[in-house]
Amino acid sequence: MLKYLIVLLYIVVFVSLVSSDRTKDKIYENVVGNMCFRRLNSTHQTGCSSAGKSAGSVGVLHYIEKEEDINFIINDAPAPPYAPILKPKFFTRENILKLRDSKFVSAIILINDTSDMTHFSQESKCPNQFFRHINQPVCDVTKPETVWNPYGTGLLHENFDIPIIFLANKNESDKVVKCFKDFNTDLEGQAGKALCSIELFSFMSAAGNSEVCIRRSKFAGFLKQITYCDPLQGKNIYGTLFPRKIVDPENRTNDQSEKIILISARLDTTSMFDGIALGALDSLASVATLITSAHYLRKIVSNDVFEKNNVNVLFVLFNGESYDYIGSQRFVYDLKKKNAFPSPASYRKPLTMDNIIMMIDIGPLDGFDTLSIYSINGANGIANKFSASAQAYNEKFGLNVNITTRETMSLPPVSAQTFLRENSSFPAFVVAAKKPENKFYHSVFDDAGNLKYSYQNKSLDFDKLDVVQDTKEASVQNKIRNIATLLALGVYDILTDQKYTGEGIASSALVDEFLYCYLVATKCRLFDSIFVFNDDYRGSNYPPQRYISVQASLTLEATGWAYRVFGFVLSEKVDKDKENCTELPLYWIPGSLKNGECRLTTQNLSYAISPAFEEEGYNFKSNLYSTWTESTWTDLSARIFLRPSIAHESFTFLIGLFIMIISFLLVYFVKSKADILFSEVVNAEHESLPAQC
Amino acid sequence: MDITRVPNEKKLYLCQWYFRVGFLFLPFVWLINVIWFFNSAFKQAPFDEQKAIKKYVIFSAIGSIFWMVILISWIVTFQTNRIEWGEFADDLSFIIPLGSK
Repeated sequence: MLKYLIVLLYIVVFVSLVSSDRTKDKIYENVVGNMCFRRLNSTHQTGCSSAGKSAGSVGVLHYIEKEEDINFIINDAPAPPYAPILKPKFFTRENILKLRDSKFVSAIILINDTSDMTHFSQESKCPNQFFRHINQPVCDVTKPETVWNPYGTGLLHENFDIPIIFLANKNESDKVVKCFKDFNTDLEGQAGKALCSIELFSFMSAAGNSEVCIRRSKFAGFLKQITYCDPLQGKNIYGTLFPRKIVDPENRTNDQSEKIILISARLDTTSMFDGIALGALDSLASVATLITSAHYLRKIVSNDVFEKNNVNVLFVLFNGESYDYIGSQRFVYDLKKKNAFPSPASYRKPLTMDNIIMMIDIGPLDGFDTLSIYSINGANGIANKFSASAQAYNEKFGLNVNITTRETMSLPPVSAQTFLRENSSFPAFVVAAKKPENKFYHSVFDDAGNLKYSYQNKSLDFDKLDVVQDTKEASVQNKIRNIATLLALGVYDILTDQKYTGEGIASSALVDEFLYCYLVATKCRLFDSIFVFNDDYRGSNYPPQRYISVQASLTLEATGWAYRVFGFVLSEKVDKDKENCTELPLYWIPGSLKNGECRLTTQNLSYAISPAFEEEGYNFKSNLYSTWTESTWTDLSARIFLRPSIAHESFTFLIGLFIMIISFLLVYFVKSKADILFSEVVNAEHESLPAQC
Repeated sequence: MDITRVPNEKKLYLCQWYFRVGFLFLPFVWLINVIWFFNSAFKQAPFDEQKAIKKYVIFSAIGSIFWMVILISWIVTFQTNRIEWGEFADDLSFIIPLGSK
């Protein structure tokens, strides 16, 4: 018995001492990062893909500390292929294209080391230039007034047959740099040594253009249907200042007497890398402006005004605008159909283009100190009227915004372009910064820092308006609040035919809370006040993803939250208890003071998918609508390992080859001498022969 | 099955059937027929059925070469023009390679 126990003890000790890692885990170390991936439009493929479905792209790590290091890889290259590690500073168009076109480079790694970085934008210098309104001057780098993203490298619209990864986390950046420094720094001796290398998997299924990959995805193949790419799609969010009447489906007819002022902004943003795009300055600030002015207008305008003038204000957040105005194109397409917006499921009367008496599009507000009102020929005089009102309130409240009107054909790349493309005399104007100043437009670095935002967390009631006295502090919250105030009051004058005499201005606390939720974490005070969470979950510690993505049925978090924020700012309190406040448009929220409120809401969602994918037999060459699609993939991953020297690899291979040849020879020898070696067996076979005769 | 141990009339039977089946657009059956019965038809000492087997083997060889020429020229034409033919080529394909035009 004792003997068995001793044996058992040995086994236990032995097993606990043995490290049971898999060989794979001993060889490789995973690297977590954000991958560049492939998107397609009607003519091109853009973005990146690794070399093969199962092979991945392998390259020797090489840390670029100065420009000459790039030339070393491209020209000298003792142990190709290489995977250069670049700081954002070196991620210029010239460098990246040079690396892409070199046969010695198999991957590019971008690390999050922002030292010496002055600007970083992979968007084109002229975003969405092929879907501009017809009189918009052609984008020309020599004419600054036509260039809306002066820092753009345009790399977002280039095609890479190599993978590019961004290592946002410092630990991951350090890991690859350390591995390079430990093994690869002996440049002369690289050829004969084991080198730290990276293997990246980001193989993309789609190729060519959207027309091809969509056609192939629709084709039910021999064995199974393969999806090569999906159209970029999401939802637009809209809400009205005053609730619109609920009508039966049979009475759903357009009413031309209904007048609408449309105020819009862009909900989405983008970057070169999957899953990391905050777009703080490029569009989130504009969204915050729209939300705050909606909230403000709702507070200062009473419902009587609507009964008197029959003018309503429609707020819309367009989705997918970064990709040739997907959301606004669909919106205009639906308006032109005359019964598609709002959808029949909304039980509201449909609207057409003619119902809209003016459109204010909130473009990039960059510095927040200047506000230019861009319009073609003054948009029938309303731009000047709006500007005069805004200027008057600017002086009255001492908001220190420099307001100018610009009558020009060259408008910023915003949703109004889609409306003007449809009808060049459409009464639209754009409010935006005087000149584009965003140095990180559509990039991974357009974050809270770029917006100069830090959470104030003043614990104020954000549902209350600010008073003029505390306008002075020059925080971004106050600046956005000021712009939102001017925007709302400009509309106030047109809506009511009166001057605003109150003292309240828009809420900076709302701006503060809203930006926190979208830049820092969805576990935030605003979201907790406008949505009844069912369990302990109160949101995540990450901001929501604002890239439009490809979700058809699922509504993305960013969209869902914007929908609920609309439900909060564009609603009025009604006197009902929780039990009687369950059916939309009535909606129960905890409220800013957590006392619980029943709200009469107006918000809804509409499709933001390009009409190109809805129309039967759409001609992809016609350039009528956005055609952006996103390729599918199976794996986005990266890992580092030590790649043996060429000599070592050849030696291993030759040993294998040698053993194979020996084994063939051995088998041949055994077979040819079988009658001697296996004499008994052979005899047995002979004995059975007669049976076969 | 070791064909050398099969009686001669069985060889002829098999060879004949492989030849016939090949007409069902199965050139590989002809090719197998040629390889399998090549020795019986040309290398072995003469026997009664050898003449008939030889005939089938030769015809099978002609048939499979004919097919091979057709197939190779079609495959070369198709593969070199696949991208250019666009939708038509996709319709002809069972499997469209991932990540290529």
